[in-house]
Amino acid sequence: MPDLQKLYDAVLSGDRNTAVAVTQEAIATGGDPLELISKYMVPAMDEVGRLFECEEYFVPELLLSARAMKGSLELLRPLLAARGAQPVGRVVIGTVKGDLHDIGKNLVASLLEGGGFEVIDFGADVAPEKFIAAVQEKGANIVALSALLTVTMPAMRTTIDALKQAGVRERIKVMVGGAPVTEQFAAEIGADGYSDNASAAVTLARRLTATAVRP
Amino acid sequence: MPALLTSRQRVLDALSHREPDRVPVDLGSTSVTGMHVSVVAALRDYYGLERRPVKVHEPMQMLGVVEDDLAAALEVDVAGMPRRKAHFGFTFDNWKPWNFNGLEVLVPGMFNVTEADNGDILLYPQGDVSAAPSGRMPKGGYFFDAIVRQNHFDPDHLDPEDNLEEFKPVSDDDVASISAAVREAQATGRAVAASFGGTGFGDIAAVPAVGLKDPRGIRDITEWYISLRSRRSYIHAVFEKQCEIALGNLARIHAAVGDAVDAVYLCGTDFGTQTSAFCSVATFRELWFPYYKAICGWVHANTSWKCFKHSCGSVERFFESFIEAGFDIVNPVQCSAAGMNPATLKQKYGDRLVFWGGGIDTQKTLPFGTSADVREETLRRCEIFAPGGGFVFNPVHNVQAGTPVQNIVAMLDAVKEFNHA
Repeated sequence: MPDLQKLYDAVLSGDRNTAVAVTQEAIATGGDPLELISKYMVPAMDEVGRLFECEEYFVPELLLSARAMKGSLELLRPLLAARGAQPVGRVVIGTVKGDLHDIGKNLVASLLEGGGFEVIDFGADVAPEKFIAAVQEKGANIVALSALLTVTMPAMRTTIDALKQAGVRERIKVMVGGAPVTEQFAAEIGADGYSDNASAAVTLARRLTATAVRP
Repeated sequence: MPALLTSRQRVLDALSHREPDRVPVDLGSTSVTGMHVSVVAALRDYYGLERRPVKVHEPMQMLGVVEDDLAAALEVDVAGMPRRKAHFGFTFDNWKPWNFNGLEVLVPGMFNVTEADNGDILLYPQGDVSAAPSGRMPKGGYFFDAIVRQNHFDPDHLDPEDNLEEFKPVSDDDVASISAAVREAQATGRAVAASFGGTGFGDIAAVPAVGLKDPRGIRDITEWYISLRSRRSYIHAVFEKQCEIALGNLARIHAAVGDAVDAVYLCGTDFGTQTSAFCSVATFRELWFPYYKAICGWVHANTSWKCFKHSCGSVERFFESFIEAGFDIVNPVQCSAAGMNPATLKQKYGDRLVFWGGGIDTQKTLPFGTSADVREETLRRCEIFAPGGGFVFNPVHNVQAGTPVQNIVAMLDAVKEFNHA
C-alpha cells in the first residue's frame, strides 16, 4: 500500500500525475476506494476550499487541485459503482438557458465532486426540461443553477417555476450562484440557497442535503 | 459666469487631478465603456434622432456606435477611435444590415453568420464560413461568446510562438487607418480615448483567439488559467515577445498620431472576481508587472498619453502595483465587488489614480432599479469621486441589453444635477 498522505498532498498541491499514480497503486494493492476518498481526497479538497476562502489559493490553484482530484476519481468511480456505494448527494448542475459562461459553474462542480457529491454536469445554456429530466430520471436531489449575466438571471426563475410545474420542486433543493446573483434575488425566485463562491457552495450543498430527500 | 471648458479640456483636467467645471462623461468610447447596440438604438429613439440602424463596433459584446448626434444629446466628453479590425479578424467596412432579434443593425461586410441546429447564431473567424465557427450567440441571446478551439494541444511540446500568432507588427495600412481614426475622433473636440490593441496581456476574452481560423497554443480558458500556475516560463515567453512587438507598434503609431490621443486603453485583463481575485499580488507582480511597466514606461517617456487599465471585480489589492507599473487610469471601478468601497478607494488612491467608471452599478441598480434608485446612486458616486478631479463618469462597465432607457436618462440627469448643484 502506498503512503496515502501523498494522495492528500497531491490533491492539495494540484499534482495530477502523482494523484493518479498513488491511486493506481492503492487500487492495485487492495486499497478501499471509499477510504481513499473520505480520508484523503475530501479532506484535501476541504483544505483547498479553506485556502481559497482565505485567499491563499486562487482560481488557478483551485483548477489544478480539481484536476488532480478528478484524475483520481475517474479511477475510483467504477469501483464505487460496482459496490453500489451511495454519494453524499446527487447534484445536477448547469448554467441556465441563454448563458454560455461556465468557469464559475465548473469550479463549483469540481468542488462538489471533491466534497463527495455525485455531480451531473449539463454544461452551459441548459433548458429547464433537462434539469427536470435529471430529477425525474436520475434522482438528483439538488439542482444547482449558475448565471453570469443580468439578462440571463431571469432564466433561474423560469427554471424553478418549471420544476414546480413538473411537480418535482418539493423533492429537491435548488441552489443558485453567479456574479450578478444575490442572496435577495435567490430568495425572490424561491431558491433554497445561495453562495457567492465555490467553496461556500459545498458547505451550502451539505447543509441542503441534510434536509433533502436522499438519492 | 466663467466660460465652460471644452470637452477635451474638461477630461484633461480630470486626468490631471484638477477638478474641472463639471464631471466629464464617457459613454461609448471603448469596448469597456460602451452600450449594447439595442440600448444605443433605444436612446436614439428617446432623443428623437434620425432613425437609422446602429453600427456594431464590437461584435463580441454587440456594442453600438454612439454617433455624433447621439454623443451631443448625451453630452459625452470622450470620443472613441473606431478599430480597424474586430476580434473576429474582419475589418470594419462594407457595412450591411443584420436582423438582430428583430432590431435592424449594421454589421461589417465580413460578419458572416450561420444558424446552428438549435437556433444558436454562429460567427466565423475572418468571415470565413468554411472555417470552424469561433463565436456563438445562444438563440435569442444578446452577444457572442468565444467557441474554444483547442485542436492542437500537446502539453509536452508547447511552443510560445503558437500563442503569438495574433500579435503582429502593424502594417503601413494599419498605421494609416489608426491615424485617420484618431484624427476623426480629435475633430469632434472631445478627448480621444484610443484603443490600438496588442497590449492586452493574457486577456481571457482574447485567449481563444476568435480571429484565427485554426489557433494553436493554449486556447482553452481553464488550461490558460492553470498555466498561470503550472507553466510560468511559457507565459513569460509569450508576454515577453508580445511586449516587444507592442513596443515597436506603439512607436510607429505614435509617430503617426502624436499627441492627438489623450488616453490609451492598454489592457482589459481581468484580475478580479465578484468576491476575490484571480491571482495573488505576488503572481501579478511576477507575471504581469514587468510587461505593464515596460509598456506604460514607454508611453510616459515618449508621449503625453495617459495609460488606461481595465479590470473588473475586486482589484483594490493590485492598485499600488498598477500605480507603480505606470497606469494612470482604472476602469470600471466595480464598487459592488469585495473591498471596492468607493469612498475608501477615493481616499486611498484618488490623487494617484483616475477613476474612469464607478458611476453606477450595471448589474443591479441601472438595469433593475427604479429611476429614483439610479438618481440616488449616481449623485452619491459623483459626490465621492468628483472632488479634486480624477474622475470620468462612466457606469461600471458596458450598459447591458435590456437596461431601461429611462434609467440611463435618469443617470445622465443626475450627473447634470450634480454639475449644477
